[in-house]
Amino acid sequence: MKIDIAHIAKLSRLHLEPEQIAKFEKDMESIVAMVDHLPDVKDTLTVDPNNAMQLREDVAKEHKFKREEMLANAPEVQAGCLVVPKTVE
Amino acid sequence: MELFEQTASVLSEMLQKKECSAVELCQSVQGRIAAVEEKVGAYVTQCEDALEQAEAVDKARTAGEILHPLAGIPIGIKDNISTKGLRTTCASKMLEQYVPPFDATVMQPIRDAKMVITGKLNMDEFAMGSSTETSYMKKTHNPHCLECVPGGSSGGSAAAVAAGEAILTLGSDTGGSIRQPSSFCGTVGLKPTYGSVSRYGLVAFASSLDQIGPIGKSVKDVAMLYSLICGHDNMDATSAYRTYPDFAAALQGSNVTGLKIGLPKEYFGAGIEDTVQTAVMNAVHLLETNGAIVKEISLSSTEYAVNTYYIIASAEASSNLARFDGVKYGYRAANYDGLTDMYERTRSEGFGDEVKRRIMLGTFVLSSGFYDAYYKKAKLVQRQIAQEFAAAFQQCDVIITPTYPTPAFRLGSQIDDPLKMYSGDVCTVPVNIAGLPAISVPCGKTETGLPIGMQMIGAKFAEQTILRAADAYEQLCGGFSCMPQTL
Amino acid sequence: MQEYEMVVGLEVHAELNTASKIYCNCRNAFGLEVNTQVCPVCMGMPGTLPTLNEKVVEYAIKMGHAMNCTINSVCKQDRKNYFYPDLPKAYQISQAEVPLCEHGYLDIMVDGEEKRIGVTRIHIEEDAGKLLHDAAFTGSLVDLNRCGVPLIEIVSEPDIRSSAEAKAYLETIKSILQYLNISDCKMQEGSIRCDVNVSVRKKGSTEFGTRCEMKNVNSFSAAVRGIEYEAKRQIAVLESGGKIVQETRRWDDVKGMSYTMRSKEDAQDYRYFPEPDLLTIVVPEEKIAALKASIPELPNAKIRRYVKEFGLSQVDATLIAEDLERSGMFDACNAIGTCKPKSISNWILSDIAKFTNDTGKKISETPLTPQRLTDLVGQVEKGVISNSAAKKVFQIVLKTGKEPLVIIEEEGMAQNSDADFLEQLAKEVLEKNEKSVTDYKNGKTNALGYLVGQCMKASKGKANPGIVKEIVTRMLTE
Repeated sequence: MKIDIAHIAKLSRLHLEPEQIAKFEKDMESIVAMVDHLPDVKDTLTVDPNNAMQLREDVAKEHKFKREEMLANAPEVQAGCLVVPKTVE
Repeated sequence: MELFEQTASVLSEMLQKKECSAVELCQSVQGRIAAVEEKVGAYVTQCEDALEQAEAVDKARTAGEILHPLAGIPIGIKDNISTKGLRTTCASKMLEQYVPPFDATVMQPIRDAKMVITGKLNMDEFAMGSSTETSYMKKTHNPHCLECVPGGSSGGSAAAVAAGEAILTLGSDTGGSIRQPSSFCGTVGLKPTYGSVSRYGLVAFASSLDQIGPIGKSVKDVAMLYSLICGHDNMDATSAYRTYPDFAAALQGSNVTGLKIGLPKEYFGAGIEDTVQTAVMNAVHLLETNGAIVKEISLSSTEYAVNTYYIIASAEASSNLARFDGVKYGYRAANYDGLTDMYERTRSEGFGDEVKRRIMLGTFVLSSGFYDAYYKKAKLVQRQIAQEFAAAFQQCDVIITPTYPTPAFRLGSQIDDPLKMYSGDVCTVPVNIAGLPAISVPCGKTETGLPIGMQMIGAKFAEQTILRAADAYEQLCGGFSCMPQTL
Repeated sequence: MQEYEMVVGLEVHAELNTASKIYCNCRNAFGLEVNTQVCPVCMGMPGTLPTLNEKVVEYAIKMGHAMNCTINSVCKQDRKNYFYPDLPKAYQISQAEVPLCEHGYLDIMVDGEEKRIGVTRIHIEEDAGKLLHDAAFTGSLVDLNRCGVPLIEIVSEPDIRSSAEAKAYLETIKSILQYLNISDCKMQEGSIRCDVNVSVRKKGSTEFGTRCEMKNVNSFSAAVRGIEYEAKRQIAVLESGGKIVQETRRWDDVKGMSYTMRSKEDAQDYRYFPEPDLLTIVVPEEKIAALKASIPELPNAKIRRYVKEFGLSQVDATLIAEDLERSGMFDACNAIGTCKPKSISNWILSDIAKFTNDTGKKISETPLTPQRLTDLVGQVEKGVISNSAAKKVFQIVLKTGKEPLVIIEEEGMAQNSDADFLEQLAKEVLEKNEKSVTDYKNGKTNALGYLVGQCMKASKGKANPGIVKEIVTRMLTE
């Protein structure tokens, strides 16, 4: 199958250099050709009621983490906020 | 025998009887690290405070505190398990500088038991790979043959145990990442039932398949560590509500008399190297002559397991790894023009090629127009595979297969051939797809001295069954010797 | 313009007022210092996992019952994948395939007429953070406090045909959320927001036109303006021979205009798939039934009842029904049943409303009980006290908490309605004022007022003026 690698890269937010595109496209096409081999299962997917989870009690905890701790790994911080390139608003 | 060569269970007794101190043990392991780490390359980050941790254990023991049997045992942690205040890189440029402000849930019992944390272990980038070669940080070498890979993705965890650079380690297993490196390095590695060990703090690769598990030199070592880390966690909605026995104590008197072993024919066919096939069958015969009942079974959907796995795992990974966008933590590209360009350059520069391939595969199988043909279909096949296993466990207690079709391969020999790399996962991925427990134990060596692994698969939450079977096998072999003669 | 009709569907997002966030135990609070209400989970740190707040499920089911939905006792959550700086995990946990509630409807009232709006679904999801734009910074700033605040999204069928209906629909939803006490509904804090889908078609047509979705509609009045603008825009395009292009538009309420955000071609591919970090949501049928039983009569039903049973105007009925305290008082007084509902309604919307507005107090914080109010109003209806006296009694009740009947007694406010006594009184007054009697009989009808006034004076103001007037009139014509 022909894969629109540029579209998939865009959706994945990956920038591929022009010289990489051919290789990734070839890799992807062979991988997709491999995983394409699946049987047709005559069944439908339903939500499994036997796989239920317990829900969390609605209790808030105060200030578990300090702001500095939470922002310590951020590439850019100003005025207690994360900074990103200007978004169009 | 040096302390670093001993098993955790022996060391535990020595420590309790004060035949050695935690500091002596820590020094032995650190000395070993100093001697061989340059050759093996198991660690991404070493803990500077390991000796202090050991001193605290000795102090507590002297003070008469009742300590956990694993107190003072040096443990290395795979670098995708969050450790508070200790860099957790996932062996990726993306997280090279990332220091979590919290501990993974599994770290709590480890710290409470006063195990000595030696450091963080190398792996394939974001656990994607079977050789630890996709690591951005360094290459890890197989202690049994330095030109060979240690396996992956928990290559550092298996290599560290085999090289004596840690007594026990934690790995994670999404499609074989604990068992396959254990097979390559001659260690024992347990992939627990999905839901038995908390995933909170394990950097997600494929949420519905990932499990943390122990790697050690003996079945008992692995049982001890597994008993410590399993259990329900309120922070992980997928964690199971149940209580667990003391798996190490339950090994007492293990034997295989009357144990029903299933040998699925699909796992012994083409693609499995003869040396591997022979070693596994020899082990099966040993079990049979000691009272096990062996029967051939069929798991006919096995041929679809690898494809199913790569679709589901990549789909989840594409979503799980979307958060690495240069905003909150981790790498951000130096030069960019606007938000979208920042995202794209950050992710392209921060991720390696294998991670990019999986992200794009996952994006593709979830994308509009392809979801039904790939993702949805794979989920249906997943259910079929799980049902086949469940049916098989009506007739047998344990299913035995090779862990991997080959022994460790040479560094660089497969890295450029993703398909070949993926197809090797054929024996391990069905276990993750079905959410089952499985253990890999050494079952012999090749002529060149490379370890071979045997996989024992159990029904859901039947860890005790496979641990006892594996322990009985270990006794019948007269113990495993996972450490290479020369290093 | 006349031959067109608009077809509108609304997607309403309401923040729920739970104590903690939907997937972590951070506080669900508004207006606090940036990035102080965040933890590794809602900040999407690697390795963190969501745990679902049970209250969110309960609140959504309540709303589902209130909107007559089928509740899916077995459902799941899905990931909606897209990149944006306010979405730390780069996916929003939402519900795609199986929502918690679906196939419902809401009855609204517009100009006294009832109208039923179909409700496609109600699902639970998490809110995103906020982007702050300030000229002082070269970039945009990200505050993640709002990440993980629980939301319900209520999706309507395209059943709305005018901006007035849209407004009534939104206001009804708001009053229900408040009645159920599951959302603060503070528009200025963005706790209710909506996306608007608009298309137009020729009247009588059964086919839908091409629709446009409008985002960033932050108030009900903005929704009204946005819908009207968009319908006009589309009609103008069609009238000039153009075609409507399916697209997402952004409403600018300041400029009163919408403009293209993205066209259908670059519609986002959200790659929904089941959230693997969460298992199935299973709500026991007994719990669903208990939640249903806990729902009070809702304001839209009350309005209908007040108009139909009690003959109130839609305006009065709405003013009472949409306020829990007022409707509580109104219903309780009518349950006592000794006064006309209209009289109670007048008191609630005049004197009581004035008092609560002036003082900022709630009715429940005053000594005014339904029994006291009906006692008081009953005395006016029976003519025992005058309206102006009643207002005085009302003030005393509020001040002292005394029973109205006791106050009337103590203050000697009761009007004299004793017919024999009043006959005698009138007879004496008429005898003393022969000239006025003659004037009246000669056609000077205003003499009647004078004579009644004299009677009132003679009774020291306690005679019931209505009855006196009746008696004097009869005597004059005899």
